[in-house]
Amino acid sequence: MNTILKNALLPAIALAVSSGAFAAGEHSGGHHGGNAVGEPGKAEDVSRTIEVTMRDNYYEPESVNVEPGETIRFHVKNEGSLVHEFNIGTAEMHEAHQEEMQMMVEHGVLKGDQINYEMMEMDMGNGHSMKHDDPNSVLLEPGDNKEIIWTFTEAADLEFACNVPGHYQAGMYGDIEFE
Amino acid sequence: MKRQLLAAVFGGLFTVVVNAAEYNISVDRVQIDTGDFVKEGIGYNGASPGPVLRFKEGEEVTINVTNNLDEMTSIHWHGLILPFEQDGVPGISFPGIKPGETFTYQFPIVQAGTYWFHSHSGFQEPNGAYGAIVIEPEGREPFRYDREYVVQLTDKHPHSGDRIMRNLKMSADYYNRQQQTASDFFAESSKKGFMAALQDRMMWGDMRMMKADIEDVQGFTGLINGKGPEQNWTGLFEPGERIRLRFINSSAMTYFDIRIPGLEMTVVQADGNNVQPVNVDEFRIGVAETYDVIVRIKDEKAYTIFAESMGRSGFARGTLAPEEGMTAEVPELREAPLLTMSDMGGHMDHGDMSDDDMADMNGDDMAGMDHSAMGHDSMDQGDGASMPADPFYAKGSGLIPTASNGGKFLSYADLKAQNPLYEDREPTREIELRLTGNMERYEWSINGTKYEDADPIVLQYGERVRFKFVNETMMTHPMHLHGMWSILDVGEGKWNPLKHVISVAPATTVYMETEVDAPGEWAFHCHLSYHAASGMFRKIVVEGGPDTTMAEGTQNGQQGGES
Repeated sequence: MNTILKNALLPAIALAVSSGAFAAGEHSGGHHGGNAVGEPGKAEDVSRTIEVTMRDNYYEPESVNVEPGETIRFHVKNEGSLVHEFNIGTAEMHEAHQEEMQMMVEHGVLKGDQINYEMMEMDMGNGHSMKHDDPNSVLLEPGDNKEIIWTFTEAADLEFACNVPGHYQAGMYGDIEFE
Repeated sequence: MKRQLLAAVFGGLFTVVVNAAEYNISVDRVQIDTGDFVKEGIGYNGASPGPVLRFKEGEEVTINVTNNLDEMTSIHWHGLILPFEQDGVPGISFPGIKPGETFTYQFPIVQAGTYWFHSHSGFQEPNGAYGAIVIEPEGREPFRYDREYVVQLTDKHPHSGDRIMRNLKMSADYYNRQQQTASDFFAESSKKGFMAALQDRMMWGDMRMMKADIEDVQGFTGLINGKGPEQNWTGLFEPGERIRLRFINSSAMTYFDIRIPGLEMTVVQADGNNVQPVNVDEFRIGVAETYDVIVRIKDEKAYTIFAESMGRSGFARGTLAPEEGMTAEVPELREAPLLTMSDMGGHMDHGDMSDDDMADMNGDDMAGMDHSAMGHDSMDQGDGASMPADPFYAKGSGLIPTASNGGKFLSYADLKAQNPLYEDREPTREIELRLTGNMERYEWSINGTKYEDADPIVLQYGERVRFKFVNETMMTHPMHLHGMWSILDVGEGKWNPLKHVISVAPATTVYMETEVDAPGEWAFHCHLSYHAASGMFRKIVVEGGPDTTMAEGTQNGQQGGES
């Protein structure tokens, strides 16, 4: 892609990505109230840690059980050979986020097994960047691992999902069951 | 006759699954009812298509094939990696199976995915001798689904294969119903002027080609799992399920553009090999290719599987439905595409145009395009930012596919291996194969030489060969190498996908690489039945390797141009 075109396109992506899946969720979290998806949790509230392994293209485990109000530390590691995401949200949020990630792929920010961090970090002006830094999500290259601490404020229809294009459709998602 | 009919009916209902590691297949005369016509043909276990063979990766299979015909037959296991004596090509792998004889195939299953099998003798395959192979993997698949269906397509013609070949030899446009007529000519001349239109026609005449030469053999009925559009093959589902559809194109001559209006499809396998999943609205399946897609249906309604032929002269149709008998709207065929000057490229060797003429019409030299330079940058080639041109078609080609809903149409450029089988390495050498032909005489060849006049291509065990296909004809050729994988160069290095058929569009150059890891003698040919039979075919000899004595044992076998 030539530089001029790239520069012309990037601000559009930056806007799209930074508006993010989390924001989208606040609109579609819907019938359970404004914040059904939950919120970033505090380390001192963590009741337990759930280990999540990413493989190509599925998770182990493929479902988790939580209680309303519970704060969980998800320790997510990517043992596959492709980039994967772990994202907590509703099916609608995931769908919206997939379109953004499709753009990241089309513009070379996201390759099969690599994330172009430099390109993601670039300041696009107006405080926008292409950082994939929503608190409900981690995006990992093969071999990497990260944590998410999340408080499930109330019971809702939630899934954890990989929104790398095609991965969700291939079956890379799991249910979050409320007890 | 009555007995055969009964067998066909019985077979049709219960063709489903044979599960043991030993299989029996009979090759039989059968009736094929397309809904449009009933035709005597050839099938397996009393039906066409034959059974779905279900193998398991890692098992050793024994397949007893009994020839109930009064002519020689054979079965080729399309896409399977196996010892060459088991590959089923008469005159190359083995002598063939005589009438009344039972031949026992035995080989290990070393792969997983969707494949198929067919006769490699005469025109038995277009006459109905084909079936599906489904191989369950040893480990977990990189995707999940609740149920699966084989969706096997063919282009059933009312004429027998022999008759079609005779007619094509007599007149190459015998089955081309979409020739431009005199009134097309006058419409064209009022648009661009008489002289321009005349010159255009004369140039195409020199090529011995016509703009509508996309499908050699029209007048077929498209079948899905043996059922014509009116017979409407139907796969049932429960709403909410994820369904894996294993598309196999077993046509003699026809490429299909496949869509399921209202559903997005996620492509997870190409030619039996897992690919990084791609969401598409529509895809083109070349002759002998397979694509596995996953669809998720949430609502309780029917969806049409619509497969239009690339030249829009026919279609196949099936339905996914929550209940038997439910149907969805069947779309109209879209307008037939016309080839353009771009599809002529710069390589026609049988026209008598001067170099000046060639220069005039060949402003964009896509024929020499370099696919290794593709990748994400190919995005820039599009007319609009949202719709990149497919780099596997000549720029300006009339064949560039578009999705009917304006969405995503799968390109070869989207195919990336999910888990590469081979280390990426530099090829040891390059072999150029020009795909050539004379349309008027219906002669098809490689590097200008027909099979019977050509020496075999000799490869050395252990080398990695880069094949350069240069399509100098105006037809699309699905090139099929037996016995070894074709690593399609989509410009993604180690992620380049493994295939067994590489479709080469008119006036394009496409590269594939092959790890030469299978000793013996193999067939390599265009999978269009009548192109293979008229000479677009080569024998490959792999010298050396762990098993050289066996390879030498059969070298005096007769020529086997049958496909």
